[in-house]
Amino acid sequence: MRLTVNGRMHEIESGPLASLLHVLREELNLTGAKAGCQFGSCATCTVLVDGRPRRACLTLMAAIEGAQVTTVEGLGVPGDLSPVQQAFDEHYAAQCGFCTSGMMLAATALLHDADGPLEREQVVEALEGHYCRCTGYVKIIEAVLAASRGETGERAPHQLDIRVAGE
Amino acid sequence: MKAVGASLPRYDGIAHVTARTRYVDDVRVPDMLWAKALRSPVASARILRLDTTRASRMPGVHAVVTHRDVPKNVVGHQEVWGIDPDEPLLASDEVRFEGQTIAVVAAETEPQAQAAVDAIELAYEERPAFTDVRRAFDAGQPQVTPTGNVYFYYPDQPQRQIRKGDIDAAFAAADVIVEGTYRSQGIEQLPMEPAVAMAIPEPDGRLTIHSATQAMYYSMDITARHLCLPMGRLKFVGGTVGGGFGGKLDTQVEPIAALLAMQAQRPVKWRLTREEEMLCSSTRAYCHVEIADAMTKDGWILGRRTLSLHDAGAYMRTSAYSCSKHTFHLAGAYTIPACAFNTFVVMTNRVPSAAMRGFGVTEASFAVETHMNRVAEVLGVDPWEIRLKNANRVGDSSPSRVVYGNPSTVSTLLAAADAADERLSGEYASMTNHARGGELLPAHLVEQQSEPRTHPLAWRDARPAFEGGK
Repeated sequence: MRLTVNGRMHEIESGPLASLLHVLREELNLTGAKAGCQFGSCATCTVLVDGRPRRACLTLMAAIEGAQVTTVEGLGVPGDLSPVQQAFDEHYAAQCGFCTSGMMLAATALLHDADGPLEREQVVEALEGHYCRCTGYVKIIEAVLAASRGETGERAPHQLDIRVAGE
Repeated sequence: MKAVGASLPRYDGIAHVTARTRYVDDVRVPDMLWAKALRSPVASARILRLDTTRASRMPGVHAVVTHRDVPKNVVGHQEVWGIDPDEPLLASDEVRFEGQTIAVVAAETEPQAQAAVDAIELAYEERPAFTDVRRAFDAGQPQVTPTGNVYFYYPDQPQRQIRKGDIDAAFAAADVIVEGTYRSQGIEQLPMEPAVAMAIPEPDGRLTIHSATQAMYYSMDITARHLCLPMGRLKFVGGTVGGGFGGKLDTQVEPIAALLAMQAQRPVKWRLTREEEMLCSSTRAYCHVEIADAMTKDGWILGRRTLSLHDAGAYMRTSAYSCSKHTFHLAGAYTIPACAFNTFVVMTNRVPSAAMRGFGVTEASFAVETHMNRVAEVLGVDPWEIRLKNANRVGDSSPSRVVYGNPSTVSTLLAAADAADERLSGEYASMTNHARGGELLPAHLVEQQSEPRTHPLAWRDARPAFEGGK
């Protein structure tokens, strides 16, 4: 089976009933998506499949053959962060960091769909189901709002721009 | 000092937002095995037979550990506090809570490990379980431990207690006695990262253990003692914790992963599922608190009696320590001259209680503050005013006779009232924590104030003789 992850095509060895989370973490060594619950209730495994946030733990390979997957590793790298990544760092939106990948990918999709600054309610709705036990969510929401206002970094906030290490 | 007051970037901020922070589950080593556990399906049972022969022959299985494989199965976590060891790393002749770990398997894949767990032969005789702390003193209840269901702090004393002042006189002098019962829930820490450890056997016989523990040296020590190895043979790699909140202290995954790794001579990772986290890992204790306050009709607390029943679960862990803290805090932030507090550690057939954000004190705060509102309602006084007049002030003393030098109760209450848009009446709005005088020093508060001790360890003098449950 074939899968494009962060712009690069891979031949997947795992079978059609393997979860996307398993494929990412164990086969492709992309560990940014986390195994927080493995039954779709915490959202730490969130990745983008054809631009839409999906729970990788509940997404079977058979359902996404040929899809374009974006993981946190494709958003940006140290020295070349995406606006959302920059905002999360500047606004202290990560404490332990375990929920951060999923939060940022959902926020990235939200920003890509929007064409200007967001309202707080839009951010809250997009992040519904994403649990954070450390921050109390306030700074996460502030970070996403700041990114939507173009306050962070030079990269355009409403564009989905794959940047991978070594390229 | 230029960092004080400055806004500094998190040292791990960039790593977090680029997913380069490496949690234990992200560590990759060749030839790693996955672990899965057999857990007790019932709350209380005698184990009759445990046979792992079939499991150890299943495809992909490289190691199986039971209590027989643990060099020292029962190791105390709190011996420095005088708590005798009582909890086995792996269950041997009995199980005392649903979810207790009985055996763990290491195999090439998670499904293979789970299939082997399912093939372990376990025969047990279920026993009635004890789960209601309110029945702690009832006859005929199932006994959780060989010494019964109540933990004895001292040879003749089954509770943590505080006695101060003359409680009988306080209750006799009261205009109103206000009683209340408060029951807090067991709270699961619920870190986003489930508990996990990876043990790697080194060629020279040492072990490298990647751990998500909140307390590296504590976990190293416990692991070394279970394995009967000098600490120098262990290398713990950690410091990256995906949330702990008290739930990553109990050090069970590390020693078991280590034993599997030693048996298989391959790295072993044991990653708990979210179900295991919710059902089998420690929580903050359930606590049943009864309070009776001797009140004057204008809102002075003359005395307080309490009875607390702390649900310790099946093993002691940190419950004795928790209940000491709990007892010291049962006056809340208020000055009560006569106190009779009794806190019991009650063993039940539940998951052992342990640390969770303020454990011991949070249960007391919840009960005490809720009770203050009830007292205010019964007396028909303002809940802010009743707190402000009874608030700790300079020169007041705590239940354990610690004299307050600069208590913050008054300023905190005023700030809270301000944040809640609560308009306080003139004299209350301008209260301070200065030493009591005038109307703020009624006769019943004089004696507790005139007991300032200059000895810095004054609290040691406060331990009273056991008064037969009074």
